[in-house]
Amino acid sequence: GFSTWLTYVRPGAHPLHQLRAAAMGDPGLFKLQFAPFSSALDVGFWHELTQKKLNEYRLDEAPKDIKGYYYNGDSAGLPARLTLEFSAFDMNAPTPAHCCPAVGTLYNTNTLESFKTADKKLLLEQAANEIWESIKSGAALENPVFLNKFLLLTFADLKKYHFYYWFCYPALCLPESIPLIQAPVGLDQRFSSKQIQALERAYDDLCQTEGVTALPYFLIKYDDNMVRVSLLKHYSDFFQGQRIKITVGVYDPCNLAQYPGWPLRNFLVLAAHRWSSSFQSVEVLCFRDRTMQGARDIAHSIIFEVKLPEMAFSPDCPKAVGWEKNQKGGMGPRMVNLSECMDPKRLAESSVDLNLKLMCWRLVPTLDLEKVVSVKCLLLGAGTLGCNVARTLMGWGVRHVTFVDNAKISYSNPVRQPLYEFEDCLGGGKPKALAAADRLQKIFPGVNARGFNMSIPMPGHPVNFSSITLEQARKDVEQLEQLIESHDVIFLLMDTRESRWLPAVIAASKRKLVINAALGFDTFVVMRHGLKKPKQQGAGDLCPSHSVASADLLGSSLFANIPGYKLGCYFCNDVVAPGDSTRDRTLDQQCTVSRPGLAMIAGALAVELMVSVLQHPEGGYAIASSSDDRMNEPPTSLGLVPHQIRGFLSRFDNVLPVSLAFDKCTACSSKVLDQYEREGFNFLAKVFNSSHSFLEDLTGLTLLHQETQAAEVRTKQAFYDKLVGL
Amino acid sequence: MEEDEFFGEKTFQHHCSEFIKHSQQIGDGWEWRSSKDCSDGYMCKTHFQIKSGTMVSHPGTYAGVQTCPPVEEVLEVPLDDAEATETAAASEVIKYEYHVLYSSSYQVPVLYFRASFLDGRPLALKDIWEGVHECYQTRLQQGPWDTITQQEHPILGQPFFVLHPCKTNEFMAPVLKNSQKINRNINYITSWLSIVGPVVGLNLPLSYAIATSQDESNAL
Repeated sequence: GFSTWLTYVRPGAHPLHQLRAAAMGDPGLFKLQFAPFSSALDVGFWHELTQKKLNEYRLDEAPKDIKGYYYNGDSAGLPARLTLEFSAFDMNAPTPAHCCPAVGTLYNTNTLESFKTADKKLLLEQAANEIWESIKSGAALENPVFLNKFLLLTFADLKKYHFYYWFCYPALCLPESIPLIQAPVGLDQRFSSKQIQALERAYDDLCQTEGVTALPYFLIKYDDNMVRVSLLKHYSDFFQGQRIKITVGVYDPCNLAQYPGWPLRNFLVLAAHRWSSSFQSVEVLCFRDRTMQGARDIAHSIIFEVKLPEMAFSPDCPKAVGWEKNQKGGMGPRMVNLSECMDPKRLAESSVDLNLKLMCWRLVPTLDLEKVVSVKCLLLGAGTLGCNVARTLMGWGVRHVTFVDNAKISYSNPVRQPLYEFEDCLGGGKPKALAAADRLQKIFPGVNARGFNMSIPMPGHPVNFSSITLEQARKDVEQLEQLIESHDVIFLLMDTRESRWLPAVIAASKRKLVINAALGFDTFVVMRHGLKKPKQQGAGDLCPSHSVASADLLGSSLFANIPGYKLGCYFCNDVVAPGDSTRDRTLDQQCTVSRPGLAMIAGALAVELMVSVLQHPEGGYAIASSSDDRMNEPPTSLGLVPHQIRGFLSRFDNVLPVSLAFDKCTACSSKVLDQYEREGFNFLAKVFNSSHSFLEDLTGLTLLHQETQAAEVRTKQAFYDKLVGL
Repeated sequence: MEEDEFFGEKTFQHHCSEFIKHSQQIGDGWEWRSSKDCSDGYMCKTHFQIKSGTMVSHPGTYAGVQTCPPVEEVLEVPLDDAEATETAAASEVIKYEYHVLYSSSYQVPVLYFRASFLDGRPLALKDIWEGVHECYQTRLQQGPWDTITQQEHPILGQPFFVLHPCKTNEFMAPVLKNSQKINRNINYITSWLSIVGPVVGLNLPLSYAIATSQDESNAL
């Protein structure tokens, strides 16, 4: 058949093991094979193809001229490659030094379907015919680059950045097998070192004369004392006087000792067509030329001799082969998914990850980034605090952020709330929660952001006006319960005290970490709520008989080594229940007008506090660090894990107070949590609908008030004085 | 070096051309490329490495990524038994690209690099560093390697890893100072690349340094 190529008929003359026994059952028959090209596509090629498709080709499927190159100087073991770079589309682009060009045709289809149905046989035949014509006309002798044609069929799925492609390196097949007269050997086995040097010099001189750095094919004449080379087009002069045998050189991208590379195939057809009537055999030098550590080496080139088949007068184009096998070794196309380096969204994600990993590497091995990145954060409030908390979370690579707010964006917001723009205020303003989630997605498409435009029912704000309002409140509570359940960290970032009560209760009951931030005019508090012990281990409420709690209230040990489950919540320090907005407001909630930098500071600290808590092996149960611990060995790689950070912008000062859970707390005491867990919404509705006295009666605050009113005020004052270090 | 305090773009290009000159002598593969539309250019080198297991043992299974489309169609072509089949697996070949650009804001050279398979699919930084020699592994956790970022190549517009130039002066200053002290000519590019290169798999033959000092003695 046509596929038999070179037949080796002289067993014993040269190392047979280099030749592959192909014909089974006939041990005497060997054939030489050719190492095919491997397609090598630089990512720059795909970038450029994308640009061309979008800006130039659009729906044009007409074939385009492209070019690639191959190299004969690889170190051992590398496959022969045909390389296409971003410059492949520029036919005037220079070929890299010491490389040979290959010209090709690009068939870029508009659909995967037309990629699949393209007539590959026909494309190959057309290309083969062009090669054959250039051989017959002599054009290939003038310009041998015609022999190294290639085809590239592509389909670019630019939505997914998937590229389908199939290379073809058309090789004409001779109609009959060619006897191999001399098996391939290394050049150093045939040439003396003097001849090798002479060959190098002759080749270099010819390159220099031609103004190139590589020659794909050349003619050789040699004897013991000299080696001469010439261009193909000068063959008649050059071969004058040659009788039986001619010698040719092929720039060979293959590295294998027993196989020539692909570019020889079409050249042998040219040789057979052109010279088989004049000469009996051709000696082929597969020229391999590498420089390692300054030492040039062409001795690993291979040389062999074949008998030229008679085909001088056959006019028809021979059969051709050349479609590249895919990675599975089958005759099929390939596909490469480049979304990770071409999809801008994927690039944003990997860049953000990389930045975080660098921080991680710097702190290796203690920083557990995964704990931070994977945390699901619920932001209750999407105002100044919510916006700043969200931005800092994004900086930490947190991917799951949910906003809850019921307000719309007003004209005063964008200057202080960095997730909103002027446009968001128009037409009554967009709902903050939804707009904030959208903006996060725009800032970083890798984030999973959601917004819920809903109200949070509050104590002292009745919901029992009608069955509709009651039902709405029930739904809101249910929704909030679900949201808290499905998140890991709950941020309380609202502008009123009352609205923090319900999520504080639900989160305490569900044992979720709560980070609370509240602003005054130039003061703020950022704190983590005490995290109650897991339910099966009994209530984590402060036990009144506990030694620390009652022993020395004024002693310094009071605030040392308090574990997370004993820490207070936002409401623990208060002696009034939330819901009363007319008197006794604490410093940090009395005014929604604050110095503009305050929300950024507090929002950032809220996130950094969360991150530090997450880095502690005990998480929310971590012992609270206080200002006194600033000189001690920090408990985490990131430093302290305080209970509270209270900031005083007027003095540019922060303190780290610690406070205990209060057994009469209107939010986190066991009395409140028990009632909530037993009665659910019915209990909550009573709180919403009643005055503050309901909670105060329940927790015993009323009694406390009556008994120790004056003393309490003094104690509380002393307590604060201690906190702020006055 | 006259401009020891100030590594200007001209000096950069000069040092690059000296560097490339030696590279050409020893066939190290560095070349200068200039962009089509702007005057600046960069020095670059590509090299290939074969991932462990050089010959095809499991074709088509590299990195477990689907690389052949789900197309049942198989071309009906006559079998070509003149094609050698025991060739190296293209899929296991990794192409490393190193580009040296000039940062005018930091006035130092900047190393851009990336690695990919032959079909263009890039390697993650983690995979690149898996290929780095063990003795450099600990260095990856120290400066300046904690300043790697992913950035667009300013001339090619494609994503590369970049060793951020903010620490370059810091670690180059002692080198330059020392060369001044012993009154020895050095090529900034050679010294700098020999520090940063090996950590990303780029090794510099010793002859670069020798060549620089020889140039100096020839000049004297």
